Amino acid sequence: MRLRNRTPFLAAAAMAAVGLLLLLAGCSLNIEGQQSALDPKGPVAKNQYDIFMLTLYVTTFIFITVGGSLAWVLWKFRQRKGDDPDFIPPQSHGHPLLEMGLVIASAGLLVIIAIPTFGGIILKKIVPDEFLGDAVEVNVTGFQWWWAFEYPEQGFYTANELVFPAGRAIKLNLRADDVIHSFWLPKLAGKVDLIPGQENFLWIKADEPGYFWGQCAEFCGDSHAYMLFRAIALPEDEWKEWLETQQRETVEDDGSFEPLLAREEWGYPEDKILKGAEVFRQACAGCHSVNPRMQTNGPNLAHFGSRSSVAAGWYENEYDLLYKWIREPERVKPGNFMYRGFLDRDGRTVIMPGLKDYDLSDEEVHAVTAYLYTLR
Amino acid sequence: MSSTVETEHHAPAPAEPVRDGIWRRPLKNTGLVGFLTTVDHKKIGIGYALGALFFLLLGGIEALIIRAQLMYPEQELISARTYNQLFTMHGTTMIFLAVMPLSAAFFNYIMPLQIGARDVAFPRMNALGLWCFLLGGVILNLSWFFPGGAPAIGWFAYAPLTDRQYSPEMGTDFWIMGLQILGIASLVGAFNFITTIVNMRAPGLSMMRLPLFTWMTLITSFLIILAFPAITIALVELMFDRHFGTYFFNVEGGGKPILWQHLFWIFGHPEVYILILPAMGIISEILPVFSRKPLFGYPLIVFSGAVIGFLGFAVWSHHMFTTGLGVVATTAFAFLTMLIAIPTGVKIFNWIGTMWGGRIRFTTPMLFSVGFIWMFMMGGFTGIMHSSPPVDAQQQDTYFVVAHFHYVLIGGSIFALFAGMYYWFPKVSGRLMDDFVGKIVFYLMFIGFNLAFFPMHILGMTGMPRRTHTYKSEMGWDQSNFWSTVGAFILGIGILIFVIQMVYAFYKGGKAPKDPWDSRTLEWDTDSPPKEYNFAYTPVIHARDQVWEDKYGVEAKRMEKIAPGKHGIHMPDQSWWPLITSIGIFIACLGMVFHKQPVPLTAEAVFGLEIVIAGLVATFIGMAAWALEGPGGFHLHPDPAEYAGATPAPEDEHGHH
Repeated sequence: MRLRNRTPFLAAAAMAAVGLLLLLAGCSLNIEGQQSALDPKGPVAKNQYDIFMLTLYVTTFIFITVGGSLAWVLWKFRQRKGDDPDFIPPQSHGHPLLEMGLVIASAGLLVIIAIPTFGGIILKKIVPDEFLGDAVEVNVTGFQWWWAFEYPEQGFYTANELVFPAGRAIKLNLRADDVIHSFWLPKLAGKVDLIPGQENFLWIKADEPGYFWGQCAEFCGDSHAYMLFRAIALPEDEWKEWLETQQRETVEDDGSFEPLLAREEWGYPEDKILKGAEVFRQACAGCHSVNPRMQTNGPNLAHFGSRSSVAAGWYENEYDLLYKWIREPERVKPGNFMYRGFLDRDGRTVIMPGLKDYDLSDEEVHAVTAYLYTLR
Repeated sequence: MSSTVETEHHAPAPAEPVRDGIWRRPLKNTGLVGFLTTVDHKKIGIGYALGALFFLLLGGIEALIIRAQLMYPEQELISARTYNQLFTMHGTTMIFLAVMPLSAAFFNYIMPLQIGARDVAFPRMNALGLWCFLLGGVILNLSWFFPGGAPAIGWFAYAPLTDRQYSPEMGTDFWIMGLQILGIASLVGAFNFITTIVNMRAPGLSMMRLPLFTWMTLITSFLIILAFPAITIALVELMFDRHFGTYFFNVEGGGKPILWQHLFWIFGHPEVYILILPAMGIISEILPVFSRKPLFGYPLIVFSGAVIGFLGFAVWSHHMFTTGLGVVATTAFAFLTMLIAIPTGVKIFNWIGTMWGGRIRFTTPMLFSVGFIWMFMMGGFTGIMHSSPPVDAQQQDTYFVVAHFHYVLIGGSIFALFAGMYYWFPKVSGRLMDDFVGKIVFYLMFIGFNLAFFPMHILGMTGMPRRTHTYKSEMGWDQSNFWSTVGAFILGIGILIFVIQMVYAFYKGGKAPKDPWDSRTLEWDTDSPPKEYNFAYTPVIHARDQVWEDKYGVEAKRMEKIAPGKHGIHMPDQSWWPLITSIGIFIACLGMVFHKQPVPLTAEAVFGLEIVIAGLVATFIGMAAWALEGPGGFHLHPDPAEYAGATPAPEDEHGHH
């Protein structure tokens, strides 16, 4: 008996606690967060958001009706203090009409969701005719743990930052070269996987110029959490300008890797930059191309100095962070190939050495860091 | 049909052959030998339960380390790799080593009692299932102690990340072989339960009088039989890719990574229902008892369970909406997935209908059951959301999905299994668990669970992907992650108190009567705990809720009892061979893991296929000896007081063993 009296207090306390928790959760809702799907900025994401809200309304309606009757039943038919403990309620076994009626009603609610769903499936797959005319094509390739972006119409490569014109459709051909990744730019479109041996398609469009964050959404190994990217939608004139600069050569063609940028713009002492170029030639150039028209094993660095982030979107592009990334890559991104080098299919034989085999000094890392900022 | 089978148990056994030497069956049914050679479904059920609870705690600790790492942004409590190992092992452990075997524990212990049987159809095979489950768990967790540690591939193990090139360590091999053994455990159990339910029901217990839990056992067993071959094939192909240079999933040799996903999810989606249908069965037992009303719409609940099982095989690709399936396939799988919401909704409506007009007693099992309905409903809603591929495109592989499946697997399966443990503990142990402590456990778990997992919906919708060991503060996920971790620890404390309470009750709890809850089904008509032979008499069933009818029903629906014949009750003999066979399989699997791999103390690969062959030889010896030792069996004579009032057995002439 003592126990039975305490139960309602426990229940009330529990309900109050749950309410408080939901309130707390509500406060932490960050609708405009960097990767929020609740803040769509383009037609594909907007469509997906609208269908999400529709499902939210439908399920909220069910929650109120079904959950409401559940709560009512629990309250109304509970055994109260003083009730006859031997009372036997009528032993009803069911009500076929009522049961079938509920089945049909649930089916009806699902149809409400099914119709726009069909539209959404087609929209994600097929670029509407109105946007086809001035669409831009980009080939996206996922690697452990970075992104290569190729602009096939212009014939150049870049990495980890997808730049495109606002207001135009961007056709993304999605591929992978090692394991499965997933391209996810929540504010512009839901994700599509990048699968080796298969080409997938997604299109995006940013209604306004903007700066967006994206991330790999399929588990792809040790540093999956560090595989981010940025997407930048530019106004038309800036887009044209960007295209032009990206196609410019950045280093001397003679294999010295000396920057073509005018020396007064180097920003660091000349000997430091030249030393950096030398270190780069020896330790980095095997994987990192600085020729915008050539893609090798690692991210293309042709116009690295003009990017806003490093290490696949994990760090902002600042000198100290870049230095840290090159100095201790294994700490920043465990398992990465810049440090480990490339292994054969047996997983043991090294076929391309990594930074662990070069053992660069602090001074050399400073030099190569400074050098990278001349590649603009 | 079933009545003849049942009475055959009383047929005079032919002269029992004298067996000596290697064919001598162990007779001691207590102590270690008694446990290692047991064929008693009740002891095996308890073995499953203890193993599953151990792994539940282990998987729970892994989850708490994961949550501790995510409590603050950019923490370095554990390394990325350790984190990836932890979520791989957490998922695999909870699915294959905690929830499935805990369900199997109930199948084993409760189902035969509910149908009035004296054991399952194949008692030795049942023992093989238990040993394979335990040894599978051992193999999986041995990986922690070998170079490279546990697998870091996710419980879904998507190719080609599992290729030797991307996961060279042995962890993945431990995972493959561990799952293979666990598959054997599930399959032998499933065949056994189906045979038992079809053939060994008490006289008069027609299919449409079966308790709902037994129905769900039957449907789940069919799902296991149809789903596990797909993962078995996938695992064999992966093993060949890793050990023998085939290219099933590797593009370089013409393989297809997407093939793995199809095979995996053809297994993986029915697996979801393998985890939830037993829970629904438990809930369908408990709600009527504590509402004092029969289950509302029994035929529709049974039928919708079967429909869920059937449709479960037609929706696997909804796990693959983002893999570029094409418009037609995507649409078809989306609509089929939405259809599943209907039979699931039916169950919820009928559970509410069961309580409607009843007299609800909020005991601990009832609280867990009602908590189940709320949480499962929430999980169902989010399920409806990502049945729509455009919505799923944003939610797939995010914390939204993590929230969804924890609502159905903890709020659903685990809450129901806890309800079942509180409900049947008195029957199994003969002891009572304190209701007040039980309620504290419930509220701690309920609050902790919601605090841990509700914020994950928000995390997912605001862009946090799954399986990431850390995140940047700029993303705005700090608060939700913090509270989620707090909730996870509250949930953990609740489960810890439960374990302590159960151990305490086992030794110090009050004595439980036969029927402490005023229940409705047959298992409450026998002793708590039941004797070795379950029932001293053969029950003859005349109603769906037989025990309720015996107490409150009309005369015509009362149960009849038939006394055992003059030879007593026929019981199966114990055997060593199931254990030996499973150890053979275990050795063969370990040998496969070590195949051409550097094992500790050596840098070089030392083993070819020698260990595998040795293990297989042991397995076949075990199987052959199993067949050759003969059926065995002995007779027990219960105290006539136990079947007082029973009609004498019809004489045994028609018996034909």
